[in-house]
Parts: sequence; structure tokens; C-alpha cells
Amino acid sequence: MSGLLQLLVSGLALGAIYALVALGFVVIYRASQVFNFAQGEFVAFGALMMVSLHAEGLPWLAAVALSCVLTGLLGALVERVLLRPLVGRPVFVTIILTIFVGALLRAGMTIAWGHELRGMPTPWDTMAEVQVLDAQLLVNSLGAMATGALVLGLYFVLIRRTRMGVAMRATASDQEVALALGIPVGRVFGATWFLAGALAALAGIFLGMYPRNVDIHLGFVALRAFPAVIVGGLDSAMGTVIAGILLGVLELLCQGYINPHLGEFGKNFHAVFPYFVMILFLMVRPYGLFGSREVERV
Amino acid sequence: MPTLEIANLEVVYHSVVRVLSGISLVVPEGSIVALLGPNGAGKTTTLRAITGLLPLHDGEVVRGSIQLDDNSLVNLEADAIVRSGLAQVLEGRRVLVDLSVEENLLAGAWSLNRSQASDRVDHFCARFPILGERRHHLAGYLSGGEQQMVAIARALMPQPEIVLLDEPSLGLAPRIVDEVVKLIREIRESGVSVLLVEQNASMALDLADAGYVLENGRIVASGTAEELRGDADIREFYLGLGSTGSRGYRDVKHYRRKRRWLS
Repeated sequence: MSGLLQLLVSGLALGAIYALVALGFVVIYRASQVFNFAQGEFVAFGALMMVSLHAEGLPWLAAVALSCVLTGLLGALVERVLLRPLVGRPVFVTIILTIFVGALLRAGMTIAWGHELRGMPTPWDTMAEVQVLDAQLLVNSLGAMATGALVLGLYFVLIRRTRMGVAMRATASDQEVALALGIPVGRVFGATWFLAGALAALAGIFLGMYPRNVDIHLGFVALRAFPAVIVGGLDSAMGTVIAGILLGVLELLCQGYINPHLGEFGKNFHAVFPYFVMILFLMVRPYGLFGSREVERV
Repeated sequence: MPTLEIANLEVVYHSVVRVLSGISLVVPEGSIVALLGPNGAGKTTTLRAITGLLPLHDGEVVRGSIQLDDNSLVNLEADAIVRSGLAQVLEGRRVLVDLSVEENLLAGAWSLNRSQASDRVDHFCARFPILGERRHHLAGYLSGGEQQMVAIARALMPQPEIVLLDEPSLGLAPRIVDEVVKLIREIRESGVSVLLVEQNASMALDLADAGYVLENGRIVASGTAEELRGDADIREFYLGLGSTGSRGYRDVKHYRRKRRWLS
């Protein structure tokens, strides 16, 4: 029982992180139909930035906020300089360009930070635990869950209640109409990339906490949020969040209950398990849990 | 109050396809001007040129001017053009299907602050009770007529001085078309000029003060609505009111010849 609770909580924490990364993909995809392959590098950049800023002596919260803003600005910069000139070109070109951006960022980060592993600073003791019922729960996990829930809540307020949110959804729905209505579509794209960057940084910070360390390859771990994007439906924010959390939990349950039965082969089986779920979904429900079926009058 | 004036406008798509070859037209303040013409004549392109939507279609203004009073609109960004007081209702209504009616209206209110925007939403919900009733429904599930009302109301949100309407009667039942006509009259009475692009020439000429006929990227006829309604060619080819009896191909050719000569 305590084992299950422990797995569930770590799973939810991992799921919250996947949800943050996946939401970053979806925000950009919905606005511009671009799948951003550099999202993983944003995650790594945010985490490395956090480590450096904290090492400079910034208080933890301020360092978190500043890393989010800086990574967001990096995203907006990439959009403004490299992608904006391609608006109106086939989306495929832009998607290929994001792969290039990813490679460029990885190289840049190698130059700036090198290869060594760093520990992610935490405001509490890295291994701190709290006793709930008879389970030992990591504070890191609880922090990730709480942050995930808070940020996702804020995101839905932004998208439903604010002028920029309505503009983002209008642009996602019909770009020409958005232009004709006087919505500055370029600025909306910039805002989506800023948002995606900030979400990535936040995910990177919690992903880098125990048990992992931070290095430039953190982005590859983040790409494991990819199945969440597919399972949730590429253009549904809510679906992606649910799928992210679900896959996080499934991954940890798999690690706890299936891996031990597979012997040598099962050591890292949990890492590929989300992909099995994704392939299953692609076979039976290719538009994902909540992917768009067109709104159509009958 | 502003006058929209286009002079010698030439538009080219994909750097090679010339769609407008030097058209000129004027929308004086407080009037309704109709732009008529068959499919592919360049009517929608004219509107795109005015509202800065050409880059999205790989089109470009290569010559000529578009003036709103003393300000040139050529090469301005679409959002700057809307801020200067122009609004466009695109062909085919184009409501944002997965947004609610209210959100559709709010999408037109980028330049307004929150309280102005909600005032305008309330205004239109009162003007169109059916939209008020369906305020929180998805716009994609409204009927065609209701969608047209949403599209027009949405464009009117920032209180523009000139509205460009692209085929507002397209695909609507006659009774709904009457409502659209009423609405367009109302827009004019509130002091807003209208540039009306239509295939339904009789409706457009009933409404308009003046009109232009566009064919193959050139203006082939223009005048007051009265004059155009009386023009023999317009009567025959646009209003379907020509002389009765059979007409040979030669007569059509005569019209073609005349048109070429005119342009």
C-alpha cells in the first residue's frame, strides 16, 4: 500500500513535468501548426540557467522566475529572427528549421556550460521526505505536482479570460480572420514561443531535481513528453495535460510492477512504455484523447 | 470623416500573375459603394490589397496608391490598417468555429480595453437577440445567417469608419439576405461607409449609391447606382433583364469587343 502511494505520487510528479513540456509543444502547434523540435533544448537551457543563476547567489524563487523569463525570451528570439520570415511558407520548412535550432542550441550550451553533471538547487533538502500515512514522499515530487497544477491552472485562465488568450485561439482557428480583425499575429506567435520557453524552463527545473542531474542532455529526457502530445491530441491543451499526467503515472507503475518481472530485459522497460501506449493510440485513436474533430454543422 | 481612394492599383500574385491592372475607385464618406464582377475578376484581391492581407497569399501591390484621407495604406501591416479605421468581413463568413459567439466578438476587439470590449459585446447581443441568446454557444454550430451576423458584428467591434464586405449574401436564404440588406443600411446610417463586393448585382445596386464593375482586373464600367441600373450591358449581363428573344454568339462577341475597347 505504501509502495503504491509512493509510486503514484512520483508518477504524478513526473506526469506534471511531462504535462508542462507537452503543453509547450501544443501552445506553439496550435498557433502556427509548427511542431517545435527544439523544445527539449529549451528545457535543458532553462535548467542550466537555473543552476547558474542560483550559483550566482540569487534566491531560489527569483532564480526560477528569471530562468523562466530568459528561456521565454530565447524562444521569442528564435521565433522573431528565424521563423517569422517564414510565415506563409509551407509549415514543413519551419519544422525542419526547428531541428536546426535544436542542434544550434545544443552546441551553444556545450560551449557555455560544458558537459559535466550539475545538481539542481532546491529550497528544501534535496532528499527531504514527508511522512504521509505510511509512505515516504519526496518533497521534490510534491513541489513538482503543486507547481504543475498551479501553472496549468494559470495557463487555462490566460487562454480563456485574457485578450491575448482569445487572440491566440483566434489565430489558431483561422489565421487570415485573425489578421483581418486586426490581431497582430506576429506578436501572438512571439507570445506563444515565449510561453513555450517559460513552460520548458519550469519543467527543466523540476526535471533536474533528484533523482536526475542537469546537463545539456536533459532535453532528451524531456522528449519523452512526446507520447503525451500524441496521446492527448496534438491540438488539445487539456488532452495533453491529462495524457501527460496519465503517462507519468503509468511509467512509474510500470517501473514498480512490470519491470521486476522482466529480469535483465526489464531494467529500463518503463522508459519505453509510454511509446507503447502512444503506438497503441496511433492504431486505435490517431487523433488522440481530445484531438480536434472538426466543429461542423450537420 | 475619411474617404477611401484607390488609384491605378496593380496587384501581382507569386511575382508573375497580374490580377489587378490599374484600377481606381473612391468610397466617399458615408456612402455605400458596390464592386461588381464575375468570378476571378479581382474583387477579393482588391479588398485584400486594401486591408493588407496580400502577403498571406503571396501577393504584392506593385503600383498605385491606396489612401485613407491623407494616409497611405500600401505596405502597412494588417493590424495597423484595422487600427486606422478599416474593417473587413471576409468572404464565406469565416466565424471562428471552435470559439463561442462572445469570444468571436472579442477577437475583433484587440484594440479596445476590457470594459469597452464588453460594452460592445453587450451592444451587439442586444442588437441581435439571437446572438445574445447563443452568447456562450460555439459559433460553428450557428446557422449561416447567424454566422453572417457574428462575422459582421465582429468586424464592427472596434467602431471602424469604413467596412469592406465580401459577398455578405453568399449562400444565404432570400429572407436572410433581406436582413443583411437591412443591416448594411443600418451601418451606413450610423455614419460608416461601406465597400460592398457582390455577385448579387441587383441587391448590391439597390443598396449602393455608386458602383464599379470589375472584369479581368480592370474597371469596365462605373457610375451612380442609378446609371448602372440603366446601362444596357449591365442590365443584360448582371441583372438578367436584357432584351428578350434569342441572341446569337455574334452579339456576345460584340459585347466582348466593346469591353476590350472600353478598357
